[in-house]
Amino acid sequence: MEVKIAPQMSLMDKLKILADAAKYDVSCSSSGSSRKNDGTGIGNTVAAGLCHSFGADGRCISLLKILFTNECIYDCRYCINRRSNDVPRASFTPDEVCNLTMEFYRRNYIEGLFLSSGILYSPDYTMELICEAVHKLRTVHRFQGYIHVKAIPGADPLLIQRAGYLADRMSVNLEMATAEGLREMAPNKHRKTILKPMRQIQNGIEENKNELTLYKHAPHFCEAGQSTQMVVGALPESDYQVMSVAESLYEKFSLKRVYYSAFVNVNEDKQLPAITAGPPLLREHRLYQADWLLRFYGFKVDELLTKERPNFNMAIDPKADWAVRHLEVFPVEINRADYRLLLRVPGIGVKSARRIITARRFGSLTFDDLKKMGVVLKRALYFITCSGRMMYPTKLDETYIVQNLTYQNQMGKGERLPFLMDGTPYRQMSLFDEGQMLDDTGNFVNVCSSKTTGDSRITDNSVITRDSRITDNSVITGDSRITGNSVITGDSRITGNSMITGDSKTEGVLYTA
Amino acid sequence: MEEKYIICEDSLEGIFTAIYDAYALREGHEHLHVQVGETDNYRLFATYLHSRPDSGKTEKVVRTLKERLGEHVYGSICRAASSDGADKGDAVYHTVVDGITGGHGERTMDNLRNPYVARAFALARRTANEVHHELEFIRFQELKQGVLYSRIGPENNVMPFVMPHFADRLSPEDFMIHDENRGLFGVHPARGEWYLVSGVEQGTAGLQEAIQYSDQEMEYQELFTIFHKTIAIRERHNRRLQQQMLPLRFQDYMVEFLQK
Ligand code: SF4
Repeated sequence: MEVKIAPQMSLMDKLKILADAAKYDVSCSSSGSSRKNDGTGIGNTVAAGLCHSFGADGRCISLLKILFTNECIYDCRYCINRRSNDVPRASFTPDEVCNLTMEFYRRNYIEGLFLSSGILYSPDYTMELICEAVHKLRTVHRFQGYIHVKAIPGADPLLIQRAGYLADRMSVNLEMATAEGLREMAPNKHRKTILKPMRQIQNGIEENKNELTLYKHAPHFCEAGQSTQMVVGALPESDYQVMSVAESLYEKFSLKRVYYSAFVNVNEDKQLPAITAGPPLLREHRLYQADWLLRFYGFKVDELLTKERPNFNMAIDPKADWAVRHLEVFPVEINRADYRLLLRVPGIGVKSARRIITARRFGSLTFDDLKKMGVVLKRALYFITCSGRMMYPTKLDETYIVQNLTYQNQMGKGERLPFLMDGTPYRQMSLFDEGQMLDDTGNFVNVCSSKTTGDSRITDNSVITRDSRITDNSVITGDSRITGNSVITGDSRITGNSMITGDSKTEGVLYTA
Repeated sequence: MEEKYIICEDSLEGIFTAIYDAYALREGHEHLHVQVGETDNYRLFATYLHSRPDSGKTEKVVRTLKERLGEHVYGSICRAASSDGADKGDAVYHTVVDGITGGHGERTMDNLRNPYVARAFALARRTANEVHHELEFIRFQELKQGVLYSRIGPENNVMPFVMPHFADRLSPEDFMIHDENRGLFGVHPARGEWYLVSGVEQGTAGLQEAIQYSDQEMEYQELFTIFHKTIAIRERHNRRLQQQMLPLRFQDYMVEFLQK
């Protein structure tokens, strides 16, 4: 078989096409592997990963993220490279991939390679090309930096195994939260074929661990584990569905990371949501926050969402939302509470909780001490006491606290919504000081006096007032109140006991009670 | 009692020597301070002593710190002492005193209730953050002779922490990192041990002009610039966020932000 490569195409043109085609894959993480250089070539890996640059969208650039080819025999509806699209096509040669990686790496532009691909001729053929490129990089060039490769669903398990011994991380994209969703969006893909290589990689990692305890010098298999990604906002799946799938992927498939990708309608597919107002970034952000709660804060999805409350509160973050609905747990005494409980306090992150535990052995902590440890007091103050005293006299009352927390958001002083996420919120650190990642200039959107556009969901008791504009496919549910001169347009759905008052204009809105 | 200030050189050796001298006074630590560099506002009722960097004293202090406080705390202390905090001498000195007198050992940096420890902790974190940034944002350019060369302009003295990372990662390469703010060079000969060269400001005036890139260099800079531009998703553009994550003072040194 002959590969269709336009022979005269320059490396620059290929890079443009094949980086452009790869950019919607969210993962860019280079974490999870820790390897010293062995002296035979360049490269090592750092457990926490490194971001080498940030793009104009604020996303981290850590790896040379490219497709091997954007030729594809499949026709996934959300994908720019689908067969039925008339877009410029290009393919790298394995040598070109190797040279780019080596020369970028020496200059410290990147942490390694992320190699994905369209399906050229067949899954086997494609997987073989990927293997060849990566094999060359590891053996001929002795490259010891980070490599992330896609496992192509449907490819021969032997090929996938071979890739696993060359790569630090592998991923198979789940694409859609539900099997029906996948069928609708990607007619050539099946949930089963996606889960199969995922299971194979999981088992491979497991067996490798055993091997490594027996033989220290056994080759590593996907040392940095595997990840996956789901597109959100293309179909009406709920946050509860998305998070439940994520939870079971963590539990049953031992995934390192699940990434969420706000849907971008690249093909302007009429049957898919138009995102003229931008991808559903706030929703995506809430999913990452919740994902963080699952992985580091000991939360379960069922604590955050239920069938009856299937979507996240857009006004406050999932942890604060949980806290105000569980006021019986608070206030928490800083000088006594155990680690797990400290983690439940809004404004206390993993790092600050640890600092509290260690510092209080030296004596009782005050609010001033907490501040120095990175606790975000303006968020935490409603939920904590130091030696029995609260910081200010405040009410333990849900509405009161929510009002105050959202008021902070309005003033730009509260929660920051960065909308960045290369999947790794903020930076590639596995632990962070909550609320401390960004300066006071974070982009935020809230439901008061704001423009809520795109596929926003406004749920549960939201109060939307004064000059708010809500457009395009927004879903408004629960006992929301919408007042003032609000404009609500597009295919928005408004349900529940919502009240809409004032001079609000509503156009093209679907009401259901 | 009268306050006493020990004035020392701005270097690890300078600060560690001053700590040695402070202990040697045997007067208790409460009214003793370590001040890095000369100060402009001398206090009226205070005594000022000068301490000269001494490798023998430094070695003893380093050994004591490692033994009594552990490698981890020693690392934090080095980072705090390499920061640009004007009060770092005093913060480090009193942190050491608190750790040793209180017998806190490996948990010395956890005693954040002590204001000196809290300050040293914050300074160490500042250096650590900048080191982390430089590991990510340093850009090497290939010179005619094949040497990889990088310019940086850090606020804190990150060089001692940055060099080991690249010496391991780029072990088969000749490379050199140039801290323009301190006239400091980190030099790594291929497969050899790295070392620092300082005090060569005079010789660097014509350096930028003298630099000649290899034939391939511009091509790869261009390729990466294109990649950097292409990989961003238009629908998510957010320059403000980009600047938060990658402050402008780093961008001035990065190829992808230099070409237009
Ligand atoms: S398989 Fe689907 S998602 Fe992947 S490149 Fe082809 S069309 Fe795009």
